[in-house]
Amino acid sequence: MERRGRGRGRARGERNLGFHNRGRNPSSSSNKFASSSNTHSNKNNEESSTITSSIVGTCNDMCPVKERAQRERLRDLSVFERLDGNRGKTSPSLAVKKFCRTISTMDIQPSDVRPLQVLQDTLFYLFRLLDSSEHPFELVHDFIFDRTRAIRQDISMQNITSVQAIHMYEEMVKFHIVSQYKLPKCSDDPNISSSHLNMEQLSKCLLSLYDLYDASRKSNSINDNEAEFYSYYVLLHLDSESQKMGESLSLWLRHLTTPVVKSKEMCFARRMLRFFRMGNYKCFFSTIAAEASYLHYCLMEPLIHEVRLHAVTCINYAGYKLHPYPLEHLSKLLMMVESDMESLCNSCGFEISSDEAGNKLLPLKQTGSCRTKTGFQKYTFMGSERIQSLNDSFRMLQASYHKDS
Amino acid sequence: MAYVSMGEAHRRVTEFLSRFSDSVFSQNGSSLKQLFSVSSNSSSLLSLADALNVFQDSNRLIKQSDTYSQLGEILVPLLRSLQSYRNGNLVDAYTSFEKSANVFLQEFRNWESAWAMEAMYVMAYEIRVLAERADRELASVGKNPEKLKGAGSFLMKVFGALAGKGPKRIGALYVTCQLFKVYFKLGTVHLCRSVIRSIETARIFDFEEFPVRDKVTYMYYTGRLEVYNENFVVADQKLTYALIHCNPRSEANIRMILKYLIPVKLSIGILPTSWLLKKYSLLEYENVVQALKRGDLRLLRHALQEHEDRFLRSGVYLVLEKLELQVYQRLIKKIYIFQKQKDPSKAHQVKLEVIVKALKWLGMDMDVDEVECIVAILIHKNLVKGYFAHRSKVAVLSKQDPFPKLNGKPVNS
Repeated sequence: MERRGRGRGRARGERNLGFHNRGRNPSSSSNKFASSSNTHSNKNNEESSTITSSIVGTCNDMCPVKERAQRERLRDLSVFERLDGNRGKTSPSLAVKKFCRTISTMDIQPSDVRPLQVLQDTLFYLFRLLDSSEHPFELVHDFIFDRTRAIRQDISMQNITSVQAIHMYEEMVKFHIVSQYKLPKCSDDPNISSSHLNMEQLSKCLLSLYDLYDASRKSNSINDNEAEFYSYYVLLHLDSESQKMGESLSLWLRHLTTPVVKSKEMCFARRMLRFFRMGNYKCFFSTIAAEASYLHYCLMEPLIHEVRLHAVTCINYAGYKLHPYPLEHLSKLLMMVESDMESLCNSCGFEISSDEAGNKLLPLKQTGSCRTKTGFQKYTFMGSERIQSLNDSFRMLQASYHKDS
Repeated sequence: MAYVSMGEAHRRVTEFLSRFSDSVFSQNGSSLKQLFSVSSNSSSLLSLADALNVFQDSNRLIKQSDTYSQLGEILVPLLRSLQSYRNGNLVDAYTSFEKSANVFLQEFRNWESAWAMEAMYVMAYEIRVLAERADRELASVGKNPEKLKGAGSFLMKVFGALAGKGPKRIGALYVTCQLFKVYFKLGTVHLCRSVIRSIETARIFDFEEFPVRDKVTYMYYTGRLEVYNENFVVADQKLTYALIHCNPRSEANIRMILKYLIPVKLSIGILPTSWLLKKYSLLEYENVVQALKRGDLRLLRHALQEHEDRFLRSGVYLVLEKLELQVYQRLIKKIYIFQKQKDPSKAHQVKLEVIVKALKWLGMDMDVDEVECIVAILIHKNLVKGYFAHRSKVAVLSKQDPFPKLNGKPVNS
């Protein structure tokens, strides 16, 4: 009755788990990178389209000539594409193909589609833009967000499932993960819709990546980074509230291959899941401090705040009234600067007192509420030099990508 | 394959054709249903298939007869399916059967009474089973296995034909269960949601009217879905319903239900006996139960690791992992009981260091900060009544009922 796991490969069929699987008809497409050339249109992936055979692109520039000319005429050039700031003038080395929702590929010419090598170079160029600080991050993000979507469109139109495509998708997933972390910090007024859109693309990109892994598994090639990118799914779904939207993690875990399940990355993610679900704040924080990568930190940051609130709630509820809790110790446990700890307690309506020696204390059994607030906390993650240094050392496009291009 | 003479082959084919048309025209459902059981390997269908390999002219026979030609579009592909199945050509067996089934469904819609319902049950079952086998054949030659998905689409059409006010609606739950099996096999479990909604909210359906067999299967699958979503109270209700109404002699089915019911019961504080686990070969839960009884965290972790693959595939791993808090509760309770025997007046004060030591005995290395954290959580979730004092590093238990039982309710989240 149930699926007999042979430890190889995920179940065939509908793969779009997670955020966007509401109200689709039962015959909607599964693996959009299926080895058969007949792909159904997948309503959740605008990048794919109804095709009977895949196109082979011949456009050798980052942007097709026709589109370049048209956008010059319409003065529809992003600030990154303007030659000397001129809204109506661009060049082949600046213009990048824009994302455009296509209904059918009947009208698409091969000259409008970029082949794999050009796509790789384009992606490389786009990520280089992140290095300069000339423009605010939000602006760079929006540009890369749109242009990488067009890259994915070109990839799926040509039905490319090679290891190079996989690496490109992996880098794009990383981009969205980092953006999810950075975007809210860009302005004091958190722009919820750009975060939401980024999260949407992150999950779409991740799910497409899983389709690519599946397609490549059929040809028996091994993907080095598979475990890492499957573990990101777990970390994205630590919070069971988000599970209500899509498939539960229990169901999702069923279909992982044994090597992925036993991998170091997946074991880390499952441990974090266990600590989070149990509310074990001590291990949650100490494990992040000791083991989390930059990307892990980016993924889990929203939950870090939630766990801190939970910890304060538990301690306030369960602690002895006559033994106020030393703030220094608490902030060490929760990896915060003491002043941030105080500010967090205050925001829950808890007062902080002091003893004769001037040490700050949290009196217990206070009435107050630690509801998770929407909006973003600016508390840093203290107590781990390792975590502090991660931001500086993280770079998109690691060595393996360069090797393939 | 036995040798069949041409004359004998001809006789068998005409016998089948006349049985088929008699059943249809006299509206005899129980006679008709047997003729669709392609995968059953019944002796009569096997001998028919052998005959078809010898007598190759059945299509002409059908077309030339006034009676049979009316049912030609059902009969021709059905015979082909039987033959293909016999010859091990599973993909063709499926596609032919699907053709026949589609035409039969059209006729079925026209019949007002539910006389052909049993035949429709067989058809729904066969289309799923044949699709599964066809997909296996496709996968083995490196092709894309898409027949089961097609079977799912067909079953949705059947469901549509049954979802009306007439007597045919009694079959809707059976078809729903076939759909569940398809979706679970394909891993597209979220598609169950729309059928569930149709069954549970449509006013034409009265759940009690459905046959018991279908209700049990339905509750089993929907109960499983509740387990995955960790709605333990509802899961308990559904799976217990399935268990109570299941045929007591069907040990395999009882085992399947228990496989999911046991983790649910454990989550609400109810432990199965060893006898039950042994009788239904569910010994993978034995150590989990022991761990809960003894407060042995190491045993729980070990049990999860030992059967990790099995628990992950059935989807109960995360549910069992959550039992950790109950194990901690039991451990602290044992310390409390032990202390009570030594000095009842001081028993309610449990030093955190003692818990650290107890855990070390179990081979678990936890520092006092972590133990304090666990104690705080246990108190917060009402698994322990009392408080902890940070400065003196002690847990002070309430004098009354310091370890409240779950009483059929899951641990507070």
